[in-house]
Amino acid sequence: MSDAFVVNSLRYRYPKAKGDMLKGITFSVEEGEIFGFLGPSGAGKSTTQKVLIKLLEGYSGEIKYFGRDLKTLDKSYYEEVGVGFEMPIHFSKMTALENLNYFSGFYKNKIDFRELMERVGLWEHRDVQVGNYSKGMKVRLNFVRAMLNRPRVLFLDEPTAGIDPKNARILKDIIGEYRAKGGTVFLTTHLMNDVDELCDHVVFGVEGKLTDVSTPRDLEIKYGKREVKVEYKENGATASALFPLAGIGENEEFHTFLRSKEIETIHSGETSMEDIFIKVTGAQLK
Amino acid sequence: MSNILRLIGGEFKRLVRYKLLARSLATGIIWVIVFLVISREDAGDVAPMLMFVDSSIVLMMLLGASFYLERQENTIKSMMVLPVSLWQILLSKVVSSLMLTLITVTITCAAVYFIHGISFNYALLLVFVILAVVAHAAIGFCLALFGKSLGTMLLMVIAYILVFAVPSILLAVNIIDAQYEWLLMISPSHAARALFSSAISGQFEWGKTLFSCIYLPVLAAVLMKFVVYPAFKSRAVRG
Repeated sequence: MSDAFVVNSLRYRYPKAKGDMLKGITFSVEEGEIFGFLGPSGAGKSTTQKVLIKLLEGYSGEIKYFGRDLKTLDKSYYEEVGVGFEMPIHFSKMTALENLNYFSGFYKNKIDFRELMERVGLWEHRDVQVGNYSKGMKVRLNFVRAMLNRPRVLFLDEPTAGIDPKNARILKDIIGEYRAKGGTVFLTTHLMNDVDELCDHVVFGVEGKLTDVSTPRDLEIKYGKREVKVEYKENGATASALFPLAGIGENEEFHTFLRSKEIETIHSGETSMEDIFIKVTGAQLK
Repeated sequence: MSNILRLIGGEFKRLVRYKLLARSLATGIIWVIVFLVISREDAGDVAPMLMFVDSSIVLMMLLGASFYLERQENTIKSMMVLPVSLWQILLSKVVSSLMLTLITVTITCAAVYFIHGISFNYALLLVFVILAVVAHAAIGFCLALFGKSLGTMLLMVIAYILVFAVPSILLAVNIIDAQYEWLLMISPSHAARALFSSAISGQFEWGKTLFSCIYLPVLAAVLMKFVVYPAFKSRAVRG
């Protein structure tokens, strides 16, 4: 697998801003992976995405897209990338079908979007004006819009925000299938459940800088406690006990405990992505 | 279909859906009523005035309203990630605005011809309409891009009308002395009105005609390149 993006010492300052929004960040996104770019508001997630989709110019540093300098790529770049913005963006007085037909018409390589619309439950609402769609329907339509050109790289910003768990599951399944077929995803989200389920690698942005790239599992182990928590019933109430994870198989005290108590739950001490987010970035999730 | 034609088609469809075409047609109908109640002599004077209103004031208002709706829907950002250039997007907006103006100008021409039997050089008029529309579309873009809301944009259009369009109308009704007309040529609206008057009356003041033919496209090019393009791009990125 080659690298979809190699970003080296990327710096960006908004016009009239006093300081850099991106302070020399470096990371790479492998082809065929889902790369999560996480962080609180103001961390530089959107700015990074805008630079990578060529909406923002005037950056310093180097960005390679499949080995080619991003600055040298022309508008044909958009034949290869799909962008799902956080805010739904459609012509509200046009139907979903009209919107998709319109946007689809600009691409040389396009999908037959009927199947995708059916999967996300919008085909039967295809002739409804988008202005009459619910927020969740707009989000799903946004996703279909991003997939129209059979993208090689997909940029998704909060792709499941505002939709119900059933439809969120469907979108995540489609994203997973897209990755399985070799597609690359650059994902920015606050929803740590999505990160846990989808991302191969993640990086946290904090005030324009990045932490090291890691996998969700490695982070959970790194920030988790190497212990086992057992909840059990005693005198009609729930009590708990902690045991070290190391050598748990040979820990006689632990085994005796399991045999002698009425166990309710057993948890290892991996921490959640939410906790990791808060620990790493120092910000609370909204 | 090429992407530019697709963009123009999409823009025009939006103008229809957002009822901007209907408003444009309504303006045309009002003009027809005006021609029904005025004399043949007055029709020759009023026609260039109405064409100038269509290609400047009405155009700027429609363009501003269209742009404001687009800002509300955030669709500019979506257009920016299509395999089309920003110049193509801007051109499609100018062309669709031109189409709107041509509809009302055609209604005006038809009314003048069928009600008063006045005809003129339509090919030349078409060229002049294009020049007027291009310049006023650029001005309209500027007002729309720098107005923070539809309300402030409309206030800016009114300010533009007071400064640039009203003096031209005052000159037409002899309230401003004709000796100041060359000074008024700085006003894009007056330059446009001078062109329409020439095309309809068939009487050319070559200095003013030539000046207008150069001034309007040059003004449009300068505004589009140095003001509209960067501001539009910045606005699109901000969303």
